[in-house]
Amino acid sequence: MVPFAAAFGYSLLYSFGIIGVVNDGFTLEFWAEVFRSGAFLDALIYSVTIALISVFISVTAALWFTLKFQKKLRGKIVSFMIYLPLAIPGIVAAFFTVQILSKSGLFSRFSYLLGFTSGITDFPDLINDQYAIGIILVLISVVMPFFVLLFLNVYDNERLDQLTELARSLGASNSQTIWRVSLPVILRKTWTLIALYFIFLLGAYEVPLILGQESPQMLSVLIVRELKQFDLTKISEGYVVAVMYTILVSIATILLFSKRSTENG
Amino acid sequence: MGRWKNGILITYLVAIVFPFIFLFLLSMSSGWRFPDLLPEYFGFKNWGKVAGTESGIAQSFLISLVISLSVAVSSTLCGFVISRYVSYHPKKRLLTLLTYFPYILAPVVFGACLSYYFLKMGIFGTTFGVVLAQFIIAFPYALIFFSSFWNEKIKSYEDLVATLGGGSLTTFRKVLLPMARGLLMVCFFQTFLISWFEYGLTSIIGVGKVQTLTIKVFLFIKESNFYYGAMSCCMLIIPPVVMIYINKKYVFNKLI
Amino acid sequence: MFLEVHDIEKSYNKEAIVSELNINLEKHKTLSILGRSGCGKTTMLKMIAGLTPIDQGVIKLDGVRVDEIEASKRNIVYLYQEDLLFPHLSVFENIAFGLRIKKIKDHIVDDRVIEMIENLELQGHGSKMPHQISGGQRQRVAFGRAIITNPALLLLDEPFGSLDAGTRKNMQTLFLRLAKTFNITSLFVTHDLKEAILMGDEIAYMDKGKLKIYKDRSSFINDPETGVLAETEFWKQLKTEQF
Repeated sequence: MVPFAAAFGYSLLYSFGIIGVVNDGFTLEFWAEVFRSGAFLDALIYSVTIALISVFISVTAALWFTLKFQKKLRGKIVSFMIYLPLAIPGIVAAFFTVQILSKSGLFSRFSYLLGFTSGITDFPDLINDQYAIGIILVLISVVMPFFVLLFLNVYDNERLDQLTELARSLGASNSQTIWRVSLPVILRKTWTLIALYFIFLLGAYEVPLILGQESPQMLSVLIVRELKQFDLTKISEGYVVAVMYTILVSIATILLFSKRSTENG
Repeated sequence: MGRWKNGILITYLVAIVFPFIFLFLLSMSSGWRFPDLLPEYFGFKNWGKVAGTESGIAQSFLISLVISLSVAVSSTLCGFVISRYVSYHPKKRLLTLLTYFPYILAPVVFGACLSYYFLKMGIFGTTFGVVLAQFIIAFPYALIFFSSFWNEKIKSYEDLVATLGGGSLTTFRKVLLPMARGLLMVCFFQTFLISWFEYGLTSIIGVGKVQTLTIKVFLFIKESNFYYGAMSCCMLIIPPVVMIYINKKYVFNKLI
Repeated sequence: MFLEVHDIEKSYNKEAIVSELNINLEKHKTLSILGRSGCGKTTMLKMIAGLTPIDQGVIKLDGVRVDEIEASKRNIVYLYQEDLLFPHLSVFENIAFGLRIKKIKDHIVDDRVIEMIENLELQGHGSKMPHQISGGQRQRVAFGRAIITNPALLLLDEPFGSLDAGTRKNMQTLFLRLAKTFNITSLFVTHDLKEAILMGDEIAYMDKGKLKIYKDRSSFINDPETGVLAETEFWKQLKTEQF
């Protein structure tokens, strides 16, 4: 906690120009500049959109997958295999995606050989692209397997198989059982964690660093780029963004956990 | 169950295994030019150089191992002892909430804002600096991880040992640590992985001087040396795969 | 008197949990205390054991003040309703625990634990782990673990509360025998009327933080507060209805 306070305090002071090599005293100029340029807002909207889409698709797919295949995922080999994605860190997933989806990647070669494209430039931009397809794909591939395991775990802990049998015996149809029993039970148990993953993805760094484009950028990438700039006046602006990001995430945390503890208590 | 459903399941499983195979094959290749499907060379040439100075991968593997082991040991032990203090504290809820802040913030941003202090302490760009920085994010994880361990029942055990004549050191050594053994192992491997997978924070505090495996992967991407990059990826993946094989709990843990 | 408790007071948030607590108990005697849940009996025992600080008052053991000594040095063992066996230690090592932390020589520990296992009628279970034995057996191990350290005073907080009726009866007999063999001085808290009468050399009743000690069994039975009269009335009534 002390380092957190120290880091926040330092960034705050720097953002107001109170400290810093080229700064001379308190000023709101950097804050004004960040808002004027819209850099923070762009990065925020971009990050929120990417995180939201990734989490939404991951959760939906994982839910569907768990409920459809929960019996088949228990086999000895299969149950080992579904854990394997957790061994792949973001940076490896990003590296792999470059090899597969880039213009000279594996898919591009297949499509060339099959005659769909006539060369490197023909192949669509799937990474470093405008729509962040590469980023979202990698984030999903990292997060979804985790959710599958999580939901399977909840499925067992909450005795969902018995609950669904009970619901059936009370006359519920297949889809009623899913919508009125399975989904609410699983989501009630996991929504905090889902929200937490959204916040994590908001701060994703190495994946957008490798697969993103120049502008807009995700928050972490933007902050680090500004802080490491040679143009020293820009550094203060970087701290402005860092401070705003920290405040945002902190508020989200407080909301998340105060809500959770009132529910539990 | 329809056939198409089986198809989807199989697709999922293939998608899981494919990256492992692909990365391994790529690490054995060289001269893989567009639009060829197969590389010019395939064999153990790259792996022969794994320990050499040109790739420096083996060296990075060792550095990563030292850093991650240090982070895992220190944060697990500190987390265990200090979470006891937090859990029995009257302001438990506030303290727990505070631990979430450093945990939830993107490590790279956290690191960037902290780098000034690391510079002042003279540990910028040193292995120790990286260990300390990673400890700062792994430690809150360990704190949260162990908070569920300390409950009324454990408190009763502590009281029991006290009335049997045991001091607090005895309580820790003979009762609490053995009882928490399973949890300690899980936390150890989890914090190990946090450190093992960490890129952003390491790149900022290590400023390229501390070359862990994740840093290597990034460097090879920048150099477009994909064969060595794939080799580094393989080295990164092997320890967690072994951990999953030993015990799935070491890798998958739903916190909170 | 061996155990002397004078005017102990304890309150949480200005609400009195225990007030004007006075106990005098001779050596090798058991005082059984009847009380419903929430009457302050657990707090009382924990204060005597040194696990909860007292607001005011004096506790003396064998003439020595112990209320300012920490729990681990009082030589008073507090036994919970739950057996709280160490899950990582065998039955043998659970019983030996108190001796081991006192760094007593191995062969002495071995002899005394083997003797204790016989006394507890647990022969053949020594090498088992706690999860491999029954609830009654576990509670016996917990007893043995406490008694083997020769505590000056044993505090029992509903020790048989989680056992079924049959096991409970066996345990009561066993405890009476152990108390005699090992010359135990103890406070035995229970919410079971019959158990309170059976186990104690002296009987007390606790309600809303106040403890009332009876000079003999008949005064306990004749006090309407203890509920003995109501109980006998109930059975009488039942009998007359049947005929």
